Amino acid sequence: MLLTFILVIPLVAALLCLVVPPRRLVEWLNPAAFAVLLVLALILCRAVIASPGKALTEWGEFLRADALSAWMALLISSVSLASSLYAVSYFRRDLAQAALNPRRWRQFHVLTPLFAAGMFLVVLANNLGVMWMAVEATALSSVLLVALYNRKNSLEAAWKYVMLGSLGLVLALFGTILTYAAAIVQPRPEMPSFNWSSLLAMAPQLDHHLMTMAFLFVLVGYGTKAGLAPMHTWLPDAHSEAPSPTSAMLSGVSLKIALYALLRFHILTAACLGFGLGCRLLLCLGLFSMLLAGPFILMQKNLKRMLAYSSLEHVGLICAAVGMNSPLTVFGALLHMGFHALTKPVLFFAAGNIHQQYHALEFRRIGAGLAHTMPITALLLGLAAVAVCGFPPFGLFISELIVIAGGFRSHQAWISVVILATLIAVFCGILSKLVGMLLGPADSRAAREAPTVSNVAAMSLPLAVLLALTVGLPDALFKLLDQASGIIRGTP
Amino acid sequence: MNPHTAETASNLITLLASFMLVLQLLLAVQSMLVTNIRLFALQSLLLAAIAAVVGFAYGAWHVYVVALLTIVGKVIFLPWLLERLVRQIKIEQEVRPFINMPASMLICGGLTVLAYVVARPITSLERLGSNTLAVAIALLLTGFFLMINRRKAITQVLALLTMENGVMLAAIALTTYGMPLVVEIGVFFDVVIAVMVLGILVFRIRETFSSMDVSKLNQLKW
Repeated sequence: MLLTFILVIPLVAALLCLVVPPRRLVEWLNPAAFAVLLVLALILCRAVIASPGKALTEWGEFLRADALSAWMALLISSVSLASSLYAVSYFRRDLAQAALNPRRWRQFHVLTPLFAAGMFLVVLANNLGVMWMAVEATALSSVLLVALYNRKNSLEAAWKYVMLGSLGLVLALFGTILTYAAAIVQPRPEMPSFNWSSLLAMAPQLDHHLMTMAFLFVLVGYGTKAGLAPMHTWLPDAHSEAPSPTSAMLSGVSLKIALYALLRFHILTAACLGFGLGCRLLLCLGLFSMLLAGPFILMQKNLKRMLAYSSLEHVGLICAAVGMNSPLTVFGALLHMGFHALTKPVLFFAAGNIHQQYHALEFRRIGAGLAHTMPITALLLGLAAVAVCGFPPFGLFISELIVIAGGFRSHQAWISVVILATLIAVFCGILSKLVGMLLGPADSRAAREAPTVSNVAAMSLPLAVLLALTVGLPDALFKLLDQASGIIRGTP
Repeated sequence: MNPHTAETASNLITLLASFMLVLQLLLAVQSMLVTNIRLFALQSLLLAAIAAVVGFAYGAWHVYVVALLTIVGKVIFLPWLLERLVRQIKIEQEVRPFINMPASMLICGGLTVLAYVVARPITSLERLGSNTLAVAIALLLTGFFLMINRRKAITQVLALLTMENGVMLAAIALTTYGMPLVVEIGVFFDVVIAVMVLGILVFRIRETFSSMDVSKLNQLKW
């Protein structure tokens, strides 16, 4: 029943948000629902760890959760919880400033749980076709969230997002269908199953030509949704124009969910054709995304766009690490997904606070001296920025170190060197921009921020969890990630 | 199923699929919005016919459901929705492509040849007709070209829908029995919702920009 509950709760929350009139109740409904989901996701993780090598199934194989899905479910629920908690104070200010009308406000609270429900279905569905539908559902619900403010720029961003996203998804659907066609090895009376688990079981018999073509289509398709360069052009627009709670969800989990869908096909293709093709392509796309992100961060003029390019870099790193395909790098990639999901939302929340205070996101218009005018936001933004650049004592340092060390260990030293070089470029870019913004003399006329409890909690809790996990990675989490990387490497 | 029926069905599918491609090429050179929408409806009707032939030849009842859904959704509902949108925002005027008609015809021809080259090595589908696969890929490629060649938001949506038609052609004709019913129905509803979301966006873009010309959406750069 666990998996069913995980899928049903966000839908119920969305429905309640649609019909319940009092505003107070609606704004706390989402955080409450996501808190319950976080508990359920933790229970799911425990259940998966308890039975290694086996997956939880419900509705007769229709829903299926192994270590990889459980880990992703954990990420979705924690990022959604943080983002909905932040949304409470964010939208109170927006409504007070009349930046948003109540109808759109309600739209946000209905669409956010739907968005999350779509992501949960992606990781829990066993049927590859259903997985595709769920990815499409996340795309459609998030498009309306990106266009929430109905400004010229947000409409442009939403249009680019929906056009490129749908284009990618059509290609992904084609790849999915080709995968199904590859399973029809000889004429037989019954239809082959479209379940991932049964396709994996018969992987060596799949038609090799069709699987190659299918993987290419899926790579481009889901790669677009995951924001991999050169299909990333929608990413900075959508992430910067969306309301900050949505930016956090898009950047924190939505990209990784698309990557997850891609990984499922990667595992299938690897079982059919060997790791050569898939790993090389993932490595190329990942490295290209990382290399591209560096210069764009260095010359960026807009805070949220800079954060979006930083997400591009991190997705590239995860993708490249999976492409290197050594036990260490794959483990590091999965760990990095989690740590990045805890850090990036904090950055977007801080950017949201700054936007509401200054009504601008360009560095030039924000000016300097944020540490004086918005001390709490500036402090948390600074800490999160240090974390996202891969500095100790924060976890991303460890996960990046694992990936780089894994590269050296598996005789792919040049890849590690390239990764290191891009990380340094990104580090210079982000810190030089932020130092200029946070420090220095403040404009004495600027108003000081008025922090609220839920706002500060939403920003500091993820960082606290990140620090706690860095100091001591729980044994259970280690086992979960170990199992998940075993699934990706085909050695469960 | 006797071999004679199978052969007839296979020929019929190839014939209908090639008609779909012809309609796609007409879409590429046709400039009136309403005509474009009707051409798309006709193309979807051919898709439904292919589904019906597959359902009949292989005795697979659930492919009939797909045919019915295609007729209800893509032949009647979506064209009606799009035509209403066109009337609401009052833009019957011609679409102005970036590349002129003869050149785009030539490009579409080249893309079709490319599709055949790509589909040729896949011999395992001989029985189902690798021709159909080639047509499906050609629909994808020309749809993509159509999308980048048009300025109006609605024609971009139409191009996306024709690409989707190509994918569904592959789904119905290549996998012998079509896809599992739950997937077919899910994909169908996803497409309908997608077009409605796109419609909302087109409407808002039209209101805010007082134009539907997507080449005006050029504020956001790197």
